[in-house]
Amino acid sequence: MFCYQCDQTTRSENGDGCSTEKGVCGKDATTSDLQDLLVYAIKGIAQYGKRARDLGKTDKKADEFILYGLFTTLTNVNFNAHRFVELIHEAIEIRERVKTLYETVATEQGQAIEVLKGSASFIPASSQDDLLIQAQWGAILRGQDIVGDDIIGLRAMMIYGLKGTAAYAYHAFVLGYEDDVIYAGIEKALDFLSTDPTDADALLTGNMDIGTVNLKVMELLDAANTGNFGVQEPAQARITPIKGKAILISGHDLKDLHELLEQTKDKGINIYTHGEMLPAHAYPILRSYSHLVGNYGGAWQNQNKEFADFPGPILMTSNCLIEPTAAYKQRIFTAGPVGWQGVRHLENHDFSPLIKIASAMLGFKTDEAEKTVTVGFGRHAVLGVADKVIDAVKSGAIKHFFLIGGCDGAAPGRNYYTELAEKTPDDSIILTLGCGKYRFHEQDFGNIGGIPRLLDIGQCNDTYSAIQIASALADAFECEVNELPLSFMISWFEQKAVAVLLTLLSLGIRGIHLGPSIPAFITPSVLAILVDKFDLKANGDPAEDLAAALKKAA
Amino acid sequence: MSYSITLVTLDGNKIQFNCEPSQTVQDAAENAGFFPPAICKMGSCGSCLAVCDTGDYELKNYSEGLLPSETEESKAVLLCRTYPQSDLMIHAPYNSDRIQNHQKTPRDATIIEIKVLAERTMSLVLQLSEDEEQGLGFDFEAGQFVELEREDLNLKRAYSIANTANWEGRLEFLIRLQDQGKFSQFLKDQAAVGQALKVHGPSGTFGLQGQSLNPRCFIAGGTGLAPFLSILRRMAEWGEDHPTQLFLGVNNEAEIFCHQELKDLQQSLSKLEVTICVWKPSDKWEWFRGTPADALGVYLKQTDVLPDIYLCGPPRLVEITTEMVLEQGINAENIYCERFG
Repeated sequence: MFCYQCDQTTRSENGDGCSTEKGVCGKDATTSDLQDLLVYAIKGIAQYGKRARDLGKTDKKADEFILYGLFTTLTNVNFNAHRFVELIHEAIEIRERVKTLYETVATEQGQAIEVLKGSASFIPASSQDDLLIQAQWGAILRGQDIVGDDIIGLRAMMIYGLKGTAAYAYHAFVLGYEDDVIYAGIEKALDFLSTDPTDADALLTGNMDIGTVNLKVMELLDAANTGNFGVQEPAQARITPIKGKAILISGHDLKDLHELLEQTKDKGINIYTHGEMLPAHAYPILRSYSHLVGNYGGAWQNQNKEFADFPGPILMTSNCLIEPTAAYKQRIFTAGPVGWQGVRHLENHDFSPLIKIASAMLGFKTDEAEKTVTVGFGRHAVLGVADKVIDAVKSGAIKHFFLIGGCDGAAPGRNYYTELAEKTPDDSIILTLGCGKYRFHEQDFGNIGGIPRLLDIGQCNDTYSAIQIASALADAFECEVNELPLSFMISWFEQKAVAVLLTLLSLGIRGIHLGPSIPAFITPSVLAILVDKFDLKANGDPAEDLAAALKKAA
Repeated sequence: MSYSITLVTLDGNKIQFNCEPSQTVQDAAENAGFFPPAICKMGSCGSCLAVCDTGDYELKNYSEGLLPSETEESKAVLLCRTYPQSDLMIHAPYNSDRIQNHQKTPRDATIIEIKVLAERTMSLVLQLSEDEEQGLGFDFEAGQFVELEREDLNLKRAYSIANTANWEGRLEFLIRLQDQGKFSQFLKDQAAVGQALKVHGPSGTFGLQGQSLNPRCFIAGGTGLAPFLSILRRMAEWGEDHPTQLFLGVNNEAEIFCHQELKDLQQSLSKLEVTICVWKPSDKWEWFRGTPADALGVYLKQTDVLPDIYLCGPPRLVEITTEMVLEQGINAENIYCERFG
């Protein structure tokens, strides 16, 4: 195996990347290789899908599969080697169908039929050993000896950005929202990658194009979330348990939460959110369920302890699963693209096994003293008080805005974000999103003229809200976003964050601080380009970074 | 002075603890709050078998059948009989989830069903009482066993669980009635619905090596079927329809049991093939005549892809079958065994 798609990948003097029998995330070599092979097979679908689309024909099921398939290969999503064998074979069936579609429409229109090779003609082997030999065709490092690390890194950044984009698009899809422009963008990028591109400029453009597609995706997901569950409103989310039977739901999928709330209505079971599910408490339709009682625990990396301690079953709905321990392996369930061998997977939103276990278990024995956090400052809430914010900036009461958000993780360097938030001056506003907020969101940052200094915008995909807020401020002050007293301090962990980064770069946003470390796939040469073009910054000392940010934007 | 012990599990996870030279590695692990699988802790059962590939140690007082002299080179050890003489690196043949991090309190249970299934084979069903922490829940991996105890009669015996983990507190067992077995005598003569038993565990490392993509061959000798029944039921419940061969061996037709359950499982698991092997059949027996090892040998000769081999049954069956499959080119690391006496 070789994988360097997430922040926690092995870093060493001999080169970065997980390349032993098991990655840092817990993914074994077989699963990792099969994931690469699945991505390779999906490129084959996209090669034909793009050509059919160019001739005016599409295959909706193939589009959906591309999103789902790429999503399964994100960090901490699916660790089940068997599932990847199934998906690879399914990918080939779909590719053949799309190939027929393309050839039929090309014939009908009198066009010459292109003969495609590589992933477009890949036939998976029947035995495990042979399949794993084939996996080298999809290996991230394939051709490294010929094209070098920079090109490999740029290709990797594209594929990782695509994975994140596909994951967000899949979230929107399950909520009933999709857009052909997105499918076309993803297919075009995959088709480009299937040619093993070697031109750095073309690869940089390809990366920026993915950022543009992902902006569209986040806009669509924003519409999907608000369309299904109402506009986020500021609200208090309880973070201490109350007595009674309980189910915990983690991950990002609000549709799963909604279905779970429906199925547990009037059953005497309380539902707790975990990790990136916290923003659910801001959506009126979800909050209207009285048995959605609070949030339990913190960010994903603490789940081994938190899940073991939770006195009920657990549902993991999207990314952020880590290896379940024996303490809760029999009562954790996966849904959607998520999977772990030996952990039960639930299809079609049938959560009856969870309800059965929650009923059998005793739940929380006592009420803990109530503690809450404030959520729900999405773009509607913030822009709803835009006049107040603009006046406060004009009067000098607000001098600076920080976007401190993104992923959390176990790396000690992530304390940077706690320290940074704590050191922000009292006349600044902190916008936060993603699970990075767990580093500081329980602290009281006070308020400025009634506007809380800490504004929780939502999930990582709510970066779209942050972009809208920044654009609105820029309009109000008749300047560019880059000219605003606004600093982006982004923490990344996995591929959704890569997609978000590419979106911010594609919008021309400069001076982003990216941490806790620069991705392993961004080589020194590529980093130099990003620094030159976008003034991308690596994390330094929090106090110094803060001082520099305040100085520059003042 | 104490030595540093590193125990590496099959999934690559490591636990570390210190061990005095006068202490067994098993005891030291338990003192440190880790409970690797072990039943007898007397060097007799083989459940704590591991490989110590780095360091010096002494093995004391164990059953020689478990570690024959030819295994010396392989550095096989029994954790319960291993005394360190330096820092040790030990590889365990199971995943980290098999190491408990606390000693489980025995659970109270009541017999709710007991019946004869076939000649010398009984089925026993227990209902657990509610536990303060887990309610009626009882976590175990398919393939594991528990120890059943009748404290007043000073009886304790390990049996594999035949059903899957559930939250109704139901535990099912298949029990071979041994002529000299005290627990067998108890079940045959005294046990009745409503009687109480204590349940210790779960324990054991036997179970699916889930990430392997190879076909699976399950070889069961008699009530060695129990862990496979648990595994197959879990595969059915979890929707894991993986190519699987089950060879169930009995001595004669009167000993055949669970036939209907296996047929039912085949309804859910389309890739499951079941071969009942009768060693000494009557003339009327139309199906496989011989041992499950014989049947497996026939299968291996006609298959292209070498399977993973799972064995559970009497020691002799396990030994003969292991020898045979090694000869057929299957790697030792693709053979997983559970022996019972």
